[in-house]
Amino acid sequence: MPPEVPPFLIRAEGLSREFELPGGGIFSRKRRLEAVSEVSFSIGRQEVLGLVGESGSGKTTIGRMVMRLLPPTRGRILLDGVDLTSLSGRALRAQRRRFQMVFQDPYASLNPRMRVREIVEEPLVVHGIDPDAGSRRDRVARLLERVGLSSRDMERFPREFSGGGRQRIGIARAIACGPELLVADEPIASLDLSMGAQIINLFSSLVDSEAMSLLFISHDIPMVRYLSDRVAVLYRGKIVESGPAEAVLDDPQHPYTRLLAEGRLPESDGASSPGAEGEPSGLCAFLPRCDRALPECRLSPPPRLSRGEVREVLCHLPKGESSWSPVHLTTQGSPSHVPATPSR
Amino acid sequence: MAAERLLKVENLTLVLKTREGEIVPVREVSFTLGKGETVGLVGESGSGKTLTGLSLLGLFPPGARIAGGKILFDGEDLLTLPESRLQTLRGQKVSMVFQEPQSALNPVLTVETQMREIYQSHTSLSREEIGQRILDGLRAAGLPDPLTVSRSYPHQLSGGMRQRVMIAMALALDPLLVIADEPTTALDPTVALQILALLARIRQRSGQSLLFISHDLSHVRRVSDRVLLMYAGRIVEEAPSARFFSHGPRHPYGRALLASRPEGGIRTRREAPLSAIGGQVPPLWDLPPGCSFAPRCSRADSLCTSTLPSWNGGEGERVFCHHPDDSPLGAPVHAA
Repeated sequence: MPPEVPPFLIRAEGLSREFELPGGGIFSRKRRLEAVSEVSFSIGRQEVLGLVGESGSGKTTIGRMVMRLLPPTRGRILLDGVDLTSLSGRALRAQRRRFQMVFQDPYASLNPRMRVREIVEEPLVVHGIDPDAGSRRDRVARLLERVGLSSRDMERFPREFSGGGRQRIGIARAIACGPELLVADEPIASLDLSMGAQIINLFSSLVDSEAMSLLFISHDIPMVRYLSDRVAVLYRGKIVESGPAEAVLDDPQHPYTRLLAEGRLPESDGASSPGAEGEPSGLCAFLPRCDRALPECRLSPPPRLSRGEVREVLCHLPKGESSWSPVHLTTQGSPSHVPATPSR
Repeated sequence: MAAERLLKVENLTLVLKTREGEIVPVREVSFTLGKGETVGLVGESGSGKTLTGLSLLGLFPPGARIAGGKILFDGEDLLTLPESRLQTLRGQKVSMVFQEPQSALNPVLTVETQMREIYQSHTSLSREEIGQRILDGLRAAGLPDPLTVSRSYPHQLSGGMRQRVMIAMALALDPLLVIADEPTTALDPTVALQILALLARIRQRSGQSLLFISHDLSHVRRVSDRVLLMYAGRIVEEAPSARFFSHGPRHPYGRALLASRPEGGIRTRREAPLSAIGGQVPPLWDLPPGCSFAPRCSRADSLCTSTLPSWNGGEGERVFCHHPDDSPLGAPVHAA
């Protein structure tokens, strides 16, 4: 990393998203679920932020909000200082080429009736890059080679490729317009082991040599640790811990991060009792599963604490330690962000 | 390996008709399973591990033909038994836990109705006795509120709870062998670990044999006594779990699989790229001559690309390779 701290490429501030639950009659109030609650993070240039959490934690919802596929209920997303959440129509489309998405399921995210060339050049056509068909073709060939395919693959169909090959096509499409940010939602979860490593290496080289930033959404902890500069751990829609990937996963502070990072077989093999729905009191959502809970966990919501400007945790536990101090709230009332790229 | 033998598969070969012609998804597969033993069957998609597992239940996909071999289970050759006898064995002596409990469970029947059916078709227990067995079974599968679960429909349960119901159903008749096909793959990481702990405890307590089919090496490591590694339809290595994961596999494919995960030494991308295996698994209708892994193997020479390897080593610890790698692993695989 360069010695000076690079400006953030993207910054999410107090991002929240509610969904209406089905049910609720004409007279009863509609029940709402807050899938993502007051989430703030930023990603520097050429930085990889790993977003980990289990299903239902809100990680896919965050990815979709960053992609502007889903409007947030509250909060803002700033790309280089431009508030994406306030843009629409032509202005949004102009920004769209700067952030692109790679999906989990390469089978479902590629049109089976389109040839590889058509799939990869579609964003070039949409954004009016390379209007000349001949040079566009050359560009597609270069993109395919960049992702480890060959220009001979141009006229083939997605079904002729293995899962790994399809994921490469999806990545070629995503990087066609030279985006600055890639959002990858479980990009290797449906791939075989040997393919997964190839795809992770490809992401790593895109970040390093094409100067892309990456939001890497995954539940594969060792891979997140491998690929990410920083991680944010989500539990029930809230970031419960964040910081440099190695520091957080080698020395986890939040009991949930500890569970994920240590990956130990649990003492009890019973199903953990499902948490109280809706946590009306605002108490820690992890409380029903926590084996280290303090008396105050049942009395007040967990504080957001920080250490050394790079680590944050949403938990009562480290409060007694002098190195951890409460995070100051910004004027918007959302927790200030951990403003650091770790030095290496 | 002192355990009494429960299962012996000898040279099992399956031929399957496909659009691309006849393929051999399971080729000359031989292995044994002791009573109370857990064996991990590892491989990538298309390696033949699921079909091998299904064949132990006498289940074969449409268009499949057994081209040879024997499956000796508790004294009987499953391949020669009539369907009626197989139906008795399934559930009573061998049962299966599937990857997707969502699709393996009947969505329109409650858990209780589905479990009741198992007891009604295999036992002569009374209604009350069956009800009690169902609750006991669900409790033993780690479900804290068995009564509520038994009255639920599958969609009302979480993925982890559904998998526990599947396990309770597989264990209902106290079978000798449980085949678990990717039982942790569709689950969240912390839930997957709970299910692994449950499988480990069940085995400790009831002495069932378990064939644990998975592509997740860290999960296989946690539960298995022995490992069988499959590639392109063949078993290519068999080793005690401790040797496979600590000293390292002897087959270059096994080595490469371990190295393709960041648990094995290289832990961040700033250290080095992951050592990904180049290329991809060959299609079964177009296998190369010689060793199927040779085109992707760093140790392959002209012998490997022309001549099929033979087994190197004896029962329980053997490798199907011309040039097995006997060096210890560079760095110990991260053990959690």
